[in-house]
Amino acid sequence: MSSTEAAKSHSDMFNGNKNIPMPLIGLLIAISLMGLYGVFNIMTKGHAASLGTTKTVPWGLLISTYVFFVVSSTGLCLISSMGHVFKIEKYEVIGKRAIVLAILTILCGFGVIATEIGHPIRMAIYNVISPNLFSAIWWMGTLYGIYLMCIIAEFYFLMTHNHKGGYYAGLAGFIAGISAHSNLGAVFGFLEARPFWHGPYLPIYFILSALISGCALVIIIFNVAYKGEANMPAKAKEALLGIAKIFGLLLGIIIFFDIWKVLTSVYGAPPEKYQTVMAMISGPLSVNFWFFEILLGMLIPFCIILATKGRSIKAALVASCSAVVGIFFMRYDLVVAGQLFPMREATAGSRVQGVVEGLAVYTPSASEITIVAGAIVLCAGLYLAAERFLNLTED
Amino acid sequence: MSNKKYAIILDDTLCIDCKACTVACKCENHVPAGFYEYRNWVGEVENKKAVFPNISRKFRPSQCQQCDNPPCVHVCPTRASYQTEDGVVLVDYHKCILCKYCMTACPYDARYENTDIHAIDKCTFCYHRLAEGREPACVETCPPKVRKFVDLMDADGEGNKILQTTQTEVQKPEKGTNPKLFYIK
Repeated sequence: MSSTEAAKSHSDMFNGNKNIPMPLIGLLIAISLMGLYGVFNIMTKGHAASLGTTKTVPWGLLISTYVFFVVSSTGLCLISSMGHVFKIEKYEVIGKRAIVLAILTILCGFGVIATEIGHPIRMAIYNVISPNLFSAIWWMGTLYGIYLMCIIAEFYFLMTHNHKGGYYAGLAGFIAGISAHSNLGAVFGFLEARPFWHGPYLPIYFILSALISGCALVIIIFNVAYKGEANMPAKAKEALLGIAKIFGLLLGIIIFFDIWKVLTSVYGAPPEKYQTVMAMISGPLSVNFWFFEILLGMLIPFCIILATKGRSIKAALVASCSAVVGIFFMRYDLVVAGQLFPMREATAGSRVQGVVEGLAVYTPSASEITIVAGAIVLCAGLYLAAERFLNLTED
Repeated sequence: MSNKKYAIILDDTLCIDCKACTVACKCENHVPAGFYEYRNWVGEVENKKAVFPNISRKFRPSQCQQCDNPPCVHVCPTRASYQTEDGVVLVDYHKCILCKYCMTACPYDARYENTDIHAIDKCTFCYHRLAEGREPACVETCPPKVRKFVDLMDADGEGNKILQTTQTEVQKPEKGTNPKLFYIK
């Protein structure tokens, strides 16, 4: 990089988007403080008394929200890599915004999981001095750490117009992201004990759903940044219309995935899988499954993109908002449903916790809900702050 | 390489559901008083076909299966869960980060969060007693002697004799965990 370019890069780095109102940023960050209620409860009363999780359902809303955040981050990184890693020119415009949100979502994800893990500091220490290389959680955590470093470097290079650096950091981020995220799928997929999760499906599905989250979030943040389509530069419009078509295609593929996941879990009533999927189809998770996951998460956005042939940014925005809400519930269903079939029959004396009519019950506590809501609002607030204070527009 | 491999053989037809084993375990291992904090349990085996007056009751005492191929050890990110040379699965409480991955990996729901020590806990076969030549508390206390604590490496020992001459079963053999709790059929 020449000295002129370097000077230019530093002079325009903080030339942010003044259209983003400061009071809105302040309000969102103030609202996000509600999460402190949950954190305070956990720190004073302990996890067991603060979380809705049980011995039978040890992973709950905090884990599913962590998954939601890291899925979003990976998706944003993968989608943005089309531009500055794979050099598809029309997508280069999405780079900075996608990467800054990828950084914020993964940080919020780490924040949420730090409240769920009983000993987060001990985790940081023993992850290094006593690693278990056979553990998918170890790989997932370590690779996400590397991934975060890569995307931070990538963002720095993009901000300083160092295209070569951006390319290498982006490529490293892409590889780390794919590896970390498929490992997250493997965290569930390796569990022989849980037939609904076990197998190679989840690592693959996680990558697919990450791409969908990435497309939806890119469409949303560009609409936020430019206050709608009307003020959007032609290059951004062109990129978003391309993303909207990819978004539609990926939604079609995930519908295909979901149909076969459900059919193979119902056909012939395979033990445990069948009961789990029936809990989603007609049991305690049915509203989440049909209304949020299927309708909001897949059918509505897919139909919108199909009906508009991906040619309307406004319609794509509606589809994206619907999909993001649906995807949040998709993560919740995935995490909770896999634990609903108890590992032991809840007979008299067995002391299997919280099982009703053969299925475990899990209800998120107020502490969990406030932490999750706080983290989501904080992420939105931090994104708007980044938009306001940093120059995220590509030249 | 250890010359021991511990196992328990249970004849649950003898169980009278007195739950002395659960009390002994709680006292011996300082397990917190909470109802869902426990290392062993006695579950009733329900006979759904039974119609009065043709009924009987059966109880199945159980605990960590001390799997030879333990999924909890495989998944633990910090090696807090580990297997001793004599095949006992233990938890190093100081390394446990309470991610609860082992709880989701265990096909037997044998683990719980110990709220006193803030770590995941489970049956240890009373490992601290073994060095003193004593049997686990649940084995020692059982009035009808449901459990027999055996060493599978002792070719002429009682354990191998029972396993060779009696039909036994393990729980969820399809999971490939190779449990070391054997139930006489």
